[in-house]
Amino acid sequence: MVEPVSPLGAAWKPGAYPNTAGESGLVLSETRPGSIVQAAAWRGREKALIAAITSLTGLALADGAGAGRVDGTKAAFGFAPGKFLLVDQKEGLAAVLGAAVGVETGTVTDLSHGRTALRLAGPKAEWVLAKFFALDFSQTAFPLGVGRATSHHDIFAQIQRSGAEQFDLYVFRSFARALWTALCHASKETGYRVE
Amino acid sequence: MSPRRSTEGGRIDRGRTIRFSFDGKTYQGHPGDTLASALMANGVRLFGRSFKYHRPRGLLAAGVDEPNALVTVLKGTVREPNIAATQIEIYEGLTVESQNRFPSLDVDAGAVNQLAGGLLSAGFYYKTFMGPVIGPLRGTRFWMACEHFIRRAAGLGRAGRDADPDRYERMNAFCDVLVVGAGPAGLMAAKAAAEAGKRVILADLDPVPGGSANWSGETIDGLPAAAWAQGTIEALGAMDTVRLLPRTTVWGYYDGNTLAALERVADHKPAPDRGEPRHRHWTIRAGAVVLATGAFERPLVFPGNDRPGVMLADAAVRLLREYGVVAGSRLALFANNDDAYRAAAALAEAGATIAAIVDMRDTVSPAARALAERAGAELLAGHAVTGTKGRKAIREITVQRLREGEITGQPRRIAVDCLLMSGGWSPAIHLASQAGTAPRWDEALQAFLPPKPTQNWVGAGAFAGRFATAAALADGLAAGAKVAGGKPPRKSAQPRVETLELDIAPAPVFEIRPPGKAGKAFVDFQHDVTAEDVRQAHREGFVSVEHLKRYTTLGMATDQGKTSNVPGLAIMAEARGITVPEVGTTRFRPPFTPVSLGALAAERYGELRPDRLTPMHDWHVENGATMYAAGLWYRPMIYGGRGETVEQAYVREAAATRAGVGIVDVSTLGKIMVQGPDAADFLDRVYTNTFSTLPVMKARYGLMLREDGLAYDDGTTWRLSQTDFLMTTTTANAGKVMQQLEYYLDIVWPDLKVTLTSVSDQWAGAAIAGPRSRDVLAACVAGTAVDNDTLPFMGIVRGEIDGVPVMICRLSFSGERAYEVYCGAGHGLHVWEALMEAGKPFAIVPYGLEALGTLRIEKGHVTGAEIDGRTTARDLYLDWMLSKKKPFAGSMMMDREGLCDDDRIRLVGIVALDDRPLGGGAHIVEHNDPAEIRDSIGHVTAGCYSPALGKYIALALVKGGKTRHGARAFVSDPLRKRFGPVEIVSHHFYDPEGSRMHG
Amino acid sequence: MLITCPYCGPRDLAEFSYQGDANRPRPDQHDTDQARWNAYVYDRSNPAGPHREYWQHAGGCRKHLLIVRSTLTHAIESVAFAGAQGATPQAPRRAAKGRTKTGPAKGKKP
Repeated sequence: MVEPVSPLGAAWKPGAYPNTAGESGLVLSETRPGSIVQAAAWRGREKALIAAITSLTGLALADGAGAGRVDGTKAAFGFAPGKFLLVDQKEGLAAVLGAAVGVETGTVTDLSHGRTALRLAGPKAEWVLAKFFALDFSQTAFPLGVGRATSHHDIFAQIQRSGAEQFDLYVFRSFARALWTALCHASKETGYRVE
Repeated sequence: MSPRRSTEGGRIDRGRTIRFSFDGKTYQGHPGDTLASALMANGVRLFGRSFKYHRPRGLLAAGVDEPNALVTVLKGTVREPNIAATQIEIYEGLTVESQNRFPSLDVDAGAVNQLAGGLLSAGFYYKTFMGPVIGPLRGTRFWMACEHFIRRAAGLGRAGRDADPDRYERMNAFCDVLVVGAGPAGLMAAKAAAEAGKRVILADLDPVPGGSANWSGETIDGLPAAAWAQGTIEALGAMDTVRLLPRTTVWGYYDGNTLAALERVADHKPAPDRGEPRHRHWTIRAGAVVLATGAFERPLVFPGNDRPGVMLADAAVRLLREYGVVAGSRLALFANNDDAYRAAAALAEAGATIAAIVDMRDTVSPAARALAERAGAELLAGHAVTGTKGRKAIREITVQRLREGEITGQPRRIAVDCLLMSGGWSPAIHLASQAGTAPRWDEALQAFLPPKPTQNWVGAGAFAGRFATAAALADGLAAGAKVAGGKPPRKSAQPRVETLELDIAPAPVFEIRPPGKAGKAFVDFQHDVTAEDVRQAHREGFVSVEHLKRYTTLGMATDQGKTSNVPGLAIMAEARGITVPEVGTTRFRPPFTPVSLGALAAERYGELRPDRLTPMHDWHVENGATMYAAGLWYRPMIYGGRGETVEQAYVREAAATRAGVGIVDVSTLGKIMVQGPDAADFLDRVYTNTFSTLPVMKARYGLMLREDGLAYDDGTTWRLSQTDFLMTTTTANAGKVMQQLEYYLDIVWPDLKVTLTSVSDQWAGAAIAGPRSRDVLAACVAGTAVDNDTLPFMGIVRGEIDGVPVMICRLSFSGERAYEVYCGAGHGLHVWEALMEAGKPFAIVPYGLEALGTLRIEKGHVTGAEIDGRTTARDLYLDWMLSKKKPFAGSMMMDREGLCDDDRIRLVGIVALDDRPLGGGAHIVEHNDPAEIRDSIGHVTAGCYSPALGKYIALALVKGGKTRHGARAFVSDPLRKRFGPVEIVSHHFYDPEGSRMHG
Repeated sequence: MLITCPYCGPRDLAEFSYQGDANRPRPDQHDTDQARWNAYVYDRSNPAGPHREYWQHAGGCRKHLLIVRSTLTHAIESVAFAGAQGATPQAPRRAAKGRTKTGPAKGKKP
């Protein structure tokens, strides 16, 4: 397979960018998963879809608003009634899931190229995200695995907490470079590394 | 005889010095100083010139309420005007200018305005400059002649012209409890809420939180109050659940318990740290709010009350206890309440002589008398200050007997270098006023108290009219416990206060009016509004509080009447013979203090406006494209760079496409996946034509109408399987169409099983067009044939280009044989480069928006320029797309009388007969008179030079449409000075039979 | 201003798009009564008080919500998924104290 090109282009400059005090409060990276897939269930068929997702990915999803799971290479979370975003570092999840979810249950839509996955990790991840999104990123309000759909002006984003101090952002690919650049600027104050 | 620095006391660090400059002169101060305190310590008393009369002005207050000492801070080439000197923390190299003076603060030419004082009274501008011209020195025209000079003479500081290089940021925060104000009440509230396990934000506008504890001189829990406050703050700061925001002014209270605050992150340093914003705009969503914003002391209104050296009593106390500055060496106090006597005692203790305490009340409490005695002051009860003297600073006051409101007796002169005044206190109810009903007037306190809340807040301390420190501490504790939902606090939780109890209630007198002609008595210092101006407004009928405000500009300056509100109302009340609450008060609007525009704009400014880039963006830029902003998207306009003009470039690109093959990036088209068992049915309902009959792997051009029957959007929709459709929309309408479709599914047809997903960014799209386009595909596509049988017009095939899966649909926007090649966006660049490589033998050219537009105009295809929200499908000759077999969105409204009128403007082509360009928006007229701008029969929607026809052509909407084909008319474009003959023709300029497209 | 989305919870106003008056039932797709269509497209009530309206959580779950909001105070009385109410919205509620100003008669104009 041909390797997909990152939308970040020259805006992705790996290295350390400490603040005036010499600290780096977070690490910014693009996780480049092979599969980003949206699954949607018809009303009343949510449980069947969740069962299909769980059996295919091994991620036991709860049936609540924003409920989600993460493991090393896979992640899933709800972002709207009956709608889920599924992420796998491997390619091909859309085809597999599409085959498993019949038209009587819902739909599967491949967004592997359409969304870009950006990761903020570190003690200052919440601080930097709060500059962009009107969400309460605290551990209690936004626990591990949970996902939320939100927006920063024109930039729609689906955000999942994937670690104690780690968030993954899924944004429209065409906006990724602009948001990335803005994230880097917003992180200067706390210092950051790009990986 | 001037203010000086005391040898000890205050929070300044006397061990270190900071150098700063004011009006070009260098001064020294200490860390902890404000500009106001440091200048006072250097003996400076003249801070600025007043707004209208250019009167010399000194410091009146010590906080955000300061109306006089406004200065301009210079940083590099950036000027920030109108900052109160009390709010500026000094730093090494701080450079400040005074304002509203020429040539200098000391010698000001504008001071002649004082002589014309009678002319410049309230209403001067309305009377002199508005309305008809009667005589030479009246009316609007006179204003236009005078404006330049008046604007220069009157007013505040001057803003700079250079761009602000600083960074501003927004921040979102959530908390259970927001405490506004970190004085004794606020600190206790924060402590109680935090100890109950709540997430707390404590915001205070000063650099050192503590509020009155920092200067009250009282003892709390056995500690000096300031030390108690610092200890409490340190304990709060150590808690994970508490966020302290010093230098942060909460300035707005909005719906949903959402508050706006401005944090001055870097104003107190020579430059921000790396990446640090200068200001941070906080949006705080709080479960509950404790308002502990304190109170402002009020000035008294008497002749000469604005002379430098006349200041609020509490301001002198703050200067002394916070900054170790003694405001004068021989002072007098003029007050209408007991509480102000503390100031006299404090200043006396610091070594100043208190010449007299002038109290307008006949009886003074024993406690206050004792303080006067301790201060060594002569107590003049039942007296008033009726005048002041001194050129640039006060040197003498006149005192007279005040008996039952009347000034009597002989004036007595007392030499002083500073006069403290106190007219009682006004709670800072500004935020409450934004989140509550009307404020309540308290007769005893002669003040407006907070209103009933309409949002979830609780008040505490001086804000709520409970001024004594012990009361404020108890109040704060109770408020904190209440918003935390806990039990009422135990009495033992309340800190013990050692203080002298004094009554704060003032005599209900705000103005002293000596008989005869006395000097000006100021109510609003910043806008130079006098007591006489208020009475004049009354005499001229502007008696309501709203009219008073607008006619005199009382309270409309940058300080928003913090010191002038109540005295102004009291004077109006007296003039009308009614009470203050009967006059009423205006609602305090946000912001509480001025907010930098940079902070409000924050990330929407400059580079942080988001750009949308296609997967091939970098290629376009590297290959010489001039990029064009289409909404947020960037698209190539032309690929120039060979010294071509725009017209030369697009003509070359379009001609090469028609002659051979061209390629254009169409990734920006809106793309929506429409999936589900009811997808075809849904499309039949929203499109004017039928999609349920579309075979799998075929595309169809579709048109949508609005609910009112006008044309909305067009595009092709591809059927990828029985239940999966890929809909394309125009770039501009992608978001709107998506929302409209979601509206239908959520609200109108919730039973349809259809999923909509925006996949605009999932697919990269390249359109290749021209007679050689098939050859290019044949050279690079694997896994499928691309011949006419396999891939006929509107057919779709799947294949691979250079190892990348692609989907190819044969459709044409240019009128040539053309294909749209779609692939995963991450592969877009790869496929584009492969197509360019395969196209080399056929001399493939990339083309931009200009050539794209040219090709579509030649072909007569409509876009947003024609589907402009005013045209119907019939106007655009798209009635062939209106199904008669089924209803669709807009079908019942499109046949209304006015929409079927024969005389509507309809789509035609236009050819320039004088070989000159036709611009969009130009009108079409039938008369041949360039001077006559009338009788339009339509307008040009889009024009270009057509390489295929060798002429300047355009699409236009003209009355009668087709019926005018072959007619002569004229283009009239007065804005571009263009008038000339045109011929009206069919909009199908090029290959009307479509043989090139279908072949 | 905050709107409490039934799925996403309380969110800032900036995430929502106003999607129009919810007091106007859309005629059935096959309805050929011009007056009803005209009323649907053009007639709006303009109450001073509680108002039923559609908002889309465009910057979130993208669901359409049926919101009752006071036009006098902005106070939001209720929020629900629009679809849950069925395809045809109910008739407008009368505002308190008869302060509702109603536009042209709904759906019955020739």
